Amino acid sequence: MAWRVGVDSGGTFTDVCLFDEDSGRVEVWKVASTPDDPSRGITQSVAEGAEHVGASVGAISYFGHGTTVATNALIQHRGVKTGLITTEGFRDLLEIGRQKRPDLYDLQADKPPVLVSRDLRLEVPERMRHDGTIETPLHKVAFWAAVRELRDAGVQAVAVCFLYGFIRTEHEETARRILAEEFPEAFACVSHQVAPEFREFERMSTTVVNAYLGPVMQAYIRRLGDRLAELGVSVTPHMTQSNGGVIGFEQATRLPVRTVLSGPSTGVVGAQEVGRLAGFSDLITFDMGGTSTDVALLQDGQCRLASEAVVHGYPIKAPMLDIHTVGAGGGSIAFVDSGGLLKVGPRSAGAAPGPVCYAHGHAEPTVTDANVVLQTLNPTHLLGGRMAIRQDLARAAIEQLAASLSMDAMATAQGIISVVTANMARAIRVVSVQRGHDPRDYTLVAFGGAGPLHAARLAKELEIRRILVPRNPGILCAMGLLLTDLRADFAATRLHTLSTEALPDVADAFSTLRAQAEAWFGAEGIAPAARRTTRTVDMRYAGQNYELPVPLPEGEIGPATVDALAEGFAAAHQRMYGFVADGDPVQLVTFRIEAAGVVPKASFQAHPDVGPDASGAIAARRDVWLPEVAGFVSCPVYDRDKLQSGNRIAGPAIIEQMDATTVVLPDMVARVEPYLNLILEVA
Amino acid sequence: MNDAAGAQGARIAGVDPITVEVIGSALSSITEEMGEALIRASYSTNIKERRDCSTALFDIHGNTLCQAEHIPMHLGSFIGLIPHILKRHPMEQMRPGDVFCGNDAYEGGGTHLPDIVLAEPIFVDGSIIAWAVNLAHHADFADRGHAHIYQEGLRIPPIRLYRAGELQRDVQELILLNCQVPRERLSDLRAQMAANRLGVQRMQALCAKYGREIVLDASAALQDYAERKMRAGIAAMPDGTYCFADVYDCPEIDGELAVSCEITIRGDEMHLHFDAPRQVRAGLNMTYTALLSTVYYTVKTLVDPTVLPNAGLARPLHVTAPEGSAVNCVHPAAVNGRLSLCQRVVDLIHGALAAAVPERVIAACNGACFSITFAGHQPRDNAIWVYLETIGGGSGARATKDGLDGVHVHMTNTSNLPVEALEIEYPLTLLRYELVDGSGGPGKQRGGMGLRRIYRAEADCRVRVDGSRLLSPPWGLFGGLPGGKSSVVLNGGAVPFDHGSGALRPGEIIEVVTGGSGGYGPPEQRDRNAVGSDLAEGRLDATTARGAYGF
Repeated sequence: MAWRVGVDSGGTFTDVCLFDEDSGRVEVWKVASTPDDPSRGITQSVAEGAEHVGASVGAISYFGHGTTVATNALIQHRGVKTGLITTEGFRDLLEIGRQKRPDLYDLQADKPPVLVSRDLRLEVPERMRHDGTIETPLHKVAFWAAVRELRDAGVQAVAVCFLYGFIRTEHEETARRILAEEFPEAFACVSHQVAPEFREFERMSTTVVNAYLGPVMQAYIRRLGDRLAELGVSVTPHMTQSNGGVIGFEQATRLPVRTVLSGPSTGVVGAQEVGRLAGFSDLITFDMGGTSTDVALLQDGQCRLASEAVVHGYPIKAPMLDIHTVGAGGGSIAFVDSGGLLKVGPRSAGAAPGPVCYAHGHAEPTVTDANVVLQTLNPTHLLGGRMAIRQDLARAAIEQLAASLSMDAMATAQGIISVVTANMARAIRVVSVQRGHDPRDYTLVAFGGAGPLHAARLAKELEIRRILVPRNPGILCAMGLLLTDLRADFAATRLHTLSTEALPDVADAFSTLRAQAEAWFGAEGIAPAARRTTRTVDMRYAGQNYELPVPLPEGEIGPATVDALAEGFAAAHQRMYGFVADGDPVQLVTFRIEAAGVVPKASFQAHPDVGPDASGAIAARRDVWLPEVAGFVSCPVYDRDKLQSGNRIAGPAIIEQMDATTVVLPDMVARVEPYLNLILEVA
Repeated sequence: MNDAAGAQGARIAGVDPITVEVIGSALSSITEEMGEALIRASYSTNIKERRDCSTALFDIHGNTLCQAEHIPMHLGSFIGLIPHILKRHPMEQMRPGDVFCGNDAYEGGGTHLPDIVLAEPIFVDGSIIAWAVNLAHHADFADRGHAHIYQEGLRIPPIRLYRAGELQRDVQELILLNCQVPRERLSDLRAQMAANRLGVQRMQALCAKYGREIVLDASAALQDYAERKMRAGIAAMPDGTYCFADVYDCPEIDGELAVSCEITIRGDEMHLHFDAPRQVRAGLNMTYTALLSTVYYTVKTLVDPTVLPNAGLARPLHVTAPEGSAVNCVHPAAVNGRLSLCQRVVDLIHGALAAAVPERVIAACNGACFSITFAGHQPRDNAIWVYLETIGGGSGARATKDGLDGVHVHMTNTSNLPVEALEIEYPLTLLRYELVDGSGGPGKQRGGMGLRRIYRAEADCRVRVDGSRLLSPPWGLFGGLPGGKSSVVLNGGAVPFDHGSGALRPGEIIEVVTGGSGGYGPPEQRDRNAVGSDLAEGRLDATTARGAYGF
């Protein structure tokens, strides 16, 4: 037996999904995260998961991982003390940016903190020109001195970004060599290896973020790799990048900046596949975990891919999915602010100590505590009975908060839910309404440990009429790791005017990229029949600074290529801007190959319709507090594992499973579709 | 944005609040998308990198439905244009695909000639329901003089550049022949067409989805909503009359102009009266629409920055200034450099309202939109090149926070041009680009720092610098001290400039330093750790730390 394993580690829980390549069997497991060292929880989840399915860890044929380590370090400014060395005269560039203020009208808005303080931004004499000639050679002694100064100041990472470093790389290469000799213990990175593209501020920012996160990711990956090896995992572990593609651990260590959206993008990939199976292609994903919530919009099954984005205030040049994150989840703490208003988050109780009901000493009520008091969540146990909780502690904490608001405890608990729902609705408006999409036209895919619990109220707030709750909502991210092909992008920037004279260089560029792609296929052990590549060229009119991607079909590079590209570009430009500038020279800017290795994927079987009667799945009845009647209402509690295709459940009802709880509101009906996903619709 | 239009906006709209919100957000995303198309399709550095352009939607009466968050100043050119189009061209003769083009300050509603506006009526079911409008600052018309508007470039009244979708080639040729860099102008005009085309399509799609009546009703409701929020915000400010006076200088004139304002808040309305000397033979003058857009921006930021940027916000505001003065100029005053005086008007309002809302106003910013324009012949093909850039500076200290360092403030918000884009396009080398140490005005909250940019010419070129605060420093508030002044320094053997204009030969160097900004509160009350870290980071020197802060 060969098992493919996906592990998603969030701020609160670590989920593992196991897929037997031979039988198609899918199993899931969940353990509490270990935020001080996430690799502990991960190895524990793998060991327990393997034991659960009766497999040996040595039989694991693929290990995929999505992580929030990089993004959390960036949000919480917990990267390392970092130094920057740059061209003389330009150390403030990192702070000046594009000289725009953070908000056009809000005079109180601030820029995000600069990741390298001004005294750790050092300049050295050196100057390249745009044509690659050297005006001032790199002053090696000055560079040495700068490295020593940073070493003495106690930095752990050094970013180097010289003007035109991507056009002629030798100064940055020398810098890298000196850093390796003089300061080998530092994490060092140079701009042309991180983001070899023009626009010095964005390149510098990307390089600095990479350095700032480097040691954090390096230590994390090393620890995790070691622990997995100790456990007996022999395959190369893989990690999701911000674009939804997957790379080996070693590469992720060099370019941590490409993994800032690793965790969230894994969920989008999972939701995309589940949506496709269930027959819905216009989706809003709602991934609510313990610490944060990620939302994204998929139109026609695709999430918008950006080549550059501002993440938590910092410009990053790397391909990433358009995902919006808010710092609120089930563990978010509710409190009364100085103006006397009830607020929720962004502080979180996380997994340790966790919500008050975990009885690990935390005293301030969280969203989870509110649900436990309202009894939308099971008042005695979580995780399918594996974890006992204390409702009395949660109630005492909520009562204390209620007293400071002069409100009733139950109304306060419901108030916490209302506030968090409004926060979530605002996040969804960012990816829908603000991009011109009406959320009412979309299906809400609710997952993450807390997604299905809050989805019904959220959908009501946004007037969304349909909710899709995947079969295993709590581990959809982990499952997403097993639903996707392996993917890597290779790119080379070489400026040419489109003409037959450029053809030898075009052929050369693509053969280099092809070789890189083949090497990657080889390293991943992807059989020749499973290899897929697509070529594109980013093109523009000479004079423009933004390119349009033009697909280049397979085939020899020859005179016909020029015509194919010219026609493809004209069509793309006409479509995008409504005009073609006949006679203007056209430039080829970046050549790209997207390589995909088709892998065996977890597949799901359609189950025959057994009819609407769901009474066999009723496990219990429970009083649930509903604001509609301002009191407790007796609701049936269904066991999700016993629900069958075709079953229908009228709200109000609660559906429990090991990794999540789904709330069906009074005016809603839930039905089980053939792949055992739940569809909630307004009755 | 006038009273006649107010009646339209006041109509009760029977649209549910969620639909109103969705349509309001759709209008803003349409204008944002128009802006992206304009920037991506354009060729000139001023648009494609510096983003000196704006996009908006207007209703048929000329009320702003929505303006994208680009450059507040550009609203001044937008609000004047539609009335001028309607004055010259009967609406019943307009056809789908007509595109009007204009820039004139006196006959086209513009604020200065480089800002060329394209406006296209949006037809739904055979009649006009709104306008797609955009403006691009065409960095051209260089090295011509600013004694009066006839020197400042080609004056274009609102005329059809496209008639029923067909380009009027003779009109376009007339425009291009009057430009120094026609290839850029042509491509930027095409990019402007692309932006409006997108706006028209998206608005038509919106109407197809919700129905035109719903879209129009929601648009009216959004204006009423903006008005309500403005009125509520003004009503919450203390009634009274607030005055402030300042001086204005720029390289074009000798000495300083005295400028002042008197603001009266009564109930939920605000009256703002400005005074300045008579208009001058220099490009610093402001048209009335430039004054209006300045006031709209400033009051919005002080009353409630979240008020939607549409015509409703103007209804409670009454703006006056003597006709023929520098802040409300008449034909044939030159207006090219109006932006720096507009920045001073913003500071005046802050200075006056410091007594009313001390926690919201900020100290004087760098007080300019410092610009430098280079023009010459490309060594490679002798073609004329023109390069304009504007440089940010300090933003005023706030009641509880330091001012922002090295940013564009208030009426402008253009990007800088990356060095790696600048040097590929023009025979210039950038030697330094940095924050100016010590330029942030000392205070409990420190003022923002100015910027230094040093250029070396690689070929012969004509150069013009424009800005302000060369003579007087940006003031502080409530005991905060003034920030650093701006300056221009020539090196490498360059001949001194005359009133901001001169020439550079290859190897000669020009250094521009922009102003910092004023501090807020007495410096001796500043947090000691903040003084220490400013000192460690070189933002201030030991002498200032001792002298101003007692550190």
